[in-house]
Amino acid sequence: MRISDLKGLEKVKQSGLKSIFPGKPRITVGMDTCGIGNGAKEVMIELEKTAKKNKLDVFIEKTGCFGFCAAEPLVNIHIPGLPLVILKEVKAKDAGKIIKAIKKKDFSGLNVLCKIESWDHITGEIKYGSGLDTIPVWNGIDFFKFQKKIVLRDCGLINPEDIEEYIAVGGYFPLFKVLNNISPENVIEEVKKSKLRGRGGAGFPTAIKWTLMRQEKSEDKYVVCNADEGDPGAYMNRNEIESDPHMLIEGMVIAAYAMGANKGVIYVRAEYPLAVERLVKSIAQARQYGVLGDNILGSKFSFDINLVEGAGAFVCGEETALIASIEGFAGRPTQRPPFPAQKGIFGKPTNINNVETFCNVPAIISKGADWFMGTGTKNSPGTKVFSLVGKIKNTGLVEMPLGQPLQTVIYNIGGGTGTKKKIKAVQTGGPSGGCIPTHLFNTPLDYESLNSLGTIMGSGGIVVMDDDNCMVDVAKYFTEFTNHDSCGKCTPCREGLYHQLKILEKVCAGKAVDKDISLLKDVGAVIADTALCGLGQTAPNPVMTTLRYFPLEYEHHIKGHRCPSGVCLDLLISPCENSCPLHINIPGYIELFREGRLQESFELILQENFLPSTTGRICHFHCKMRCRREDIDKPVAQGELHRFIADKVYKNGLEKGVYAQILKNKFKSTGKKVGIVGAGPAGLTAAYYLSRLGHDVTVFDAKQKAGGILRYGIPSYRLPKDIMDKELGILKKLGVKFKFGNRLDSEKMKKVAGSYDAVFTATGAYKEMPFEIKGSGLKGVWSGVDFLDKLASGEKIRTGKNIVIVGAGNVAIDACRSARRLGAKVTILYRRGKDDMPANSQEIEESYNEGIGFIFYASPEEIVGDEKGTVSKIIARKMAQGDFDISGRRKPVATDEMIEIPCDTIMFAIGEKVDARYLDGTGVALNRDGTAKTDIFTFVTDNPKIFAGGDLVTGPGTAVEAMGQGKAAAKSIDKFLTGLDRWNSLYKKIEYKNIADINTYSGKPQNDKKIPVTARKNNFNEVSYGLDAKQAQCESLRCLRCDIK
Amino acid sequence: METLPKERTDEIIKKYDSLPGSLLSILEEIQTSTKGKFLPEDALVRVGEKTRIPLSRIYSVATFYSFFNLVPQGRHTIVVCRGTACHTRKSKELFDYLKAHLDFSHVKSGGSEKELMTTSDGNFTVRTVACFGQCALAPVVEVDGVIYGHMTVEKLKTMIKKISKEKAKK
Repeated sequence: MRISDLKGLEKVKQSGLKSIFPGKPRITVGMDTCGIGNGAKEVMIELEKTAKKNKLDVFIEKTGCFGFCAAEPLVNIHIPGLPLVILKEVKAKDAGKIIKAIKKKDFSGLNVLCKIESWDHITGEIKYGSGLDTIPVWNGIDFFKFQKKIVLRDCGLINPEDIEEYIAVGGYFPLFKVLNNISPENVIEEVKKSKLRGRGGAGFPTAIKWTLMRQEKSEDKYVVCNADEGDPGAYMNRNEIESDPHMLIEGMVIAAYAMGANKGVIYVRAEYPLAVERLVKSIAQARQYGVLGDNILGSKFSFDINLVEGAGAFVCGEETALIASIEGFAGRPTQRPPFPAQKGIFGKPTNINNVETFCNVPAIISKGADWFMGTGTKNSPGTKVFSLVGKIKNTGLVEMPLGQPLQTVIYNIGGGTGTKKKIKAVQTGGPSGGCIPTHLFNTPLDYESLNSLGTIMGSGGIVVMDDDNCMVDVAKYFTEFTNHDSCGKCTPCREGLYHQLKILEKVCAGKAVDKDISLLKDVGAVIADTALCGLGQTAPNPVMTTLRYFPLEYEHHIKGHRCPSGVCLDLLISPCENSCPLHINIPGYIELFREGRLQESFELILQENFLPSTTGRICHFHCKMRCRREDIDKPVAQGELHRFIADKVYKNGLEKGVYAQILKNKFKSTGKKVGIVGAGPAGLTAAYYLSRLGHDVTVFDAKQKAGGILRYGIPSYRLPKDIMDKELGILKKLGVKFKFGNRLDSEKMKKVAGSYDAVFTATGAYKEMPFEIKGSGLKGVWSGVDFLDKLASGEKIRTGKNIVIVGAGNVAIDACRSARRLGAKVTILYRRGKDDMPANSQEIEESYNEGIGFIFYASPEEIVGDEKGTVSKIIARKMAQGDFDISGRRKPVATDEMIEIPCDTIMFAIGEKVDARYLDGTGVALNRDGTAKTDIFTFVTDNPKIFAGGDLVTGPGTAVEAMGQGKAAAKSIDKFLTGLDRWNSLYKKIEYKNIADINTYSGKPQNDKKIPVTARKNNFNEVSYGLDAKQAQCESLRCLRCDIK
Repeated sequence: METLPKERTDEIIKKYDSLPGSLLSILEEIQTSTKGKFLPEDALVRVGEKTRIPLSRIYSVATFYSFFNLVPQGRHTIVVCRGTACHTRKSKELFDYLKAHLDFSHVKSGGSEKELMTTSDGNFTVRTVACFGQCALAPVVEVDGVIYGHMTVEKLKTMIKKISKEKAKK
């Protein structure tokens, strides 16, 4: 078995090829740790059993990981003559189907990922076969298209526990070549030419390290592989070892030969039991076959490897600490020089490289440095394996040529978040790295580019974070980690990180002050400059990059005392409360309702939201997107519940007592006059609170009635106006005065600003975005906003019978469902796809039910009129899905195909904009997009007595978001007018039970009842009946009470 | 308290003596050889006697690395992964749940992520790990050596109930 010459090596190769091509179907199951965690073992056992039962003669064995972890377990099937087929997400119960498919040579009923016709193992090539035309080739699918497998050349294709298969694909041939034909100096020369850089993080040129070590004369010299992979969130080294351990051993032997080393150590994490197990087996096999030990492959060169299991210390990634650890000490780094190459393990010359660095070496030897330089960039040639994890759809191991933009990895390969949530940042380099915001996603992935952003490549972990991740918390998380893992030797790291952590804890608790930020920066700079080792010097990176790219999140914690992502528990009652723009105490009112205390439940809601029945019908329900009940089944119907509570209260007249209390508790008059411009959700909410606080409030609006978008935008079938009117009734009782029919121009606005003590302006985004194409001036062309407005105002409307609506936002959907009720045939024309529609998903679903037509990926080019100048058709250009933009949406790109849609009316509803010209000369500054510029926490504009909120400030948003701002602005205005913080006195404490049930209530999610689609024609009756009493009770019991900590 | 027979300790020491990294390897094998997965005091004393490594240094190593612990673990060990991928997928909630719902009232420090805690009845030990490298399955929890992916508080609840019931049966 011991190989001592080329003939012997060839013989083993032939033997190995027999297990790759066993002359019968070969089934291999991806059995690395992730595969096993996903059930690969069960799959393999079931396949063996089923094949036996069906008397199918197959060869079944394990393989490593092919990289697509999200699709595990992966099963490869190779039938002689055909391509290798990779099946994804295989379950044990699929075994019967798979065996049948092999018998029939037909894979049509299976979950197929891709096929491989031939494979370049770099050290050799394997041809599987051709055919199976309907199955995509592996590098034709998005996940692999942009990758190049050099390090992962064998992973997921050979049996990692069989050295013969490694040799069959050309393994250990580079070693043989080196031992027989290349001098050690020339090996180093080749590595130097290839410009290979250390893959452990810092990217130090490998050949320089090797040369230094080569020059040292000593009886013993050590080559050490750092497989301690301490970066949380990175697992490429684990995978490389589990899937192809011999590639590491071969790389180390070549390196040892080049440097003249006789002793090897692989320092591997004890947390990776399978990697350890496979290494132990492989080292034993390697000795048995003569590629390790004395006189390797018949040469004069001798080298052996010993395995040491690291015991969980991040600092041991630092080479001097790792040496101390191997010597039997606590892993504390020492000062360099002397460098390990001069004085390493037990004082002997020592070279330490990362797993992946060694794995590249046989490939470089096999194909030459010039070939290696052909991949990647000039200064960073080759590839890097990244572990793509976190909030990403396609998690997995991705091997990319260096220098590719980050966005390729995140969107093309990763497929974005795979949820409705947006990506906020990615973190690279683990605790030594930093967070990169989305606007920098075009950064190339190479050492220098990442350094310039304040982060590092590190070992290659890419952790994706979305809106639900708080960047301050992320900084705290890493600082907790490095503070704990600091070895304690040098003061800057030991004390500095501790103090950074204490400050971050204060920020997360909402107890920090402005100057804490500069303190964080100062401490970080000192640690980076003065710490002894790499751990300390890079440990401030997570804090520094989040401060640099996400300063606003820190401000929200410090000034707003809120964690917008809902992570920092001290700053919220529950995730739903935190995500609610009005911050309603949702678990509180649900508990009161459960306890049968209906009136108090209503009262608690009313403290934060004076329109509970109205908003319960139209809200986007931000709360549901954060409801933890979703882990079990579906979110609790929180909004429907407050609608039910309010409706029931009104039905029984219980609100009278509550309102009477509010009126009774109205503050004494302050003598201050507040003018509010715009009677929309933001303005009315501000009026509600400011009048309760004793201010004299007057509301101006261009329309004849209050409500703004709620009245003039949202159709009655969603929000019956009598309900809203009832709820708005409290305003007059509180003494709010209204001046309707008053559209303020800049002259009037200046007058208002002059005659009131404070002004809150919230005029919304009510102008339809213009869309100028040929024919847009024809008769029959409408704006969606105008249409809804006229409808709500009760004007007579003459639209046609065949309407095309351009756009897919909320206005478009409201317009199409309204037009449908008027009896028209309606088609939506949208330039993107179904899943890209920005409108509320429930509304979209209902529009489908009501028979609205949809044409996706089409953009209007021209409107054609008839002889009378009335619209007769619209011509649209078909769009195709282009590449991803930086926000992760696919750009629609024009095609040559045109379509014509005959119609008599066209409505444009592609978005609304702010028109703030009336603010000219008032001292209010505007942003470039025309919105009003304010402080985000106080809502004050550049004119200290004018405050602004709602869409006027944010651009188009939801009604409840506007109400939230109206409330926050009211608080700030009161403080401005009185100089006092009186806000909390508006609240009355309502006690309720604070015990969470140990047993989770198993009630099913309840859906509101709706009127049948057939009954929705020719009327604007409300569609939803809401929940009934039993359903409401069930929903309330489904709440998990996340507020109890 | 449990200890490791002297002969077994000597056997382990002999296996690794004079190899690079021997002290780590010896301590690791001693720990995995005990029922309570810990380092018994007399075994450490024995290591010092045989290897001539000062006991102070052995203690320094045993307390420096997070893998080692000097007190026996409970009948069942739950390890919550606190790697970055798991953190972004709310593994802290899992740890907080365990801390709040198992009986750690006797833990004087109040309990933190960085220490090993055993319930007062000795049934469960809860600890965290920096990363299992199972990031694709995040969040991950290991129960008695088996990795469970895509964990939720609800799944954890069921699992603990099941284990506790098994104990009651015995």
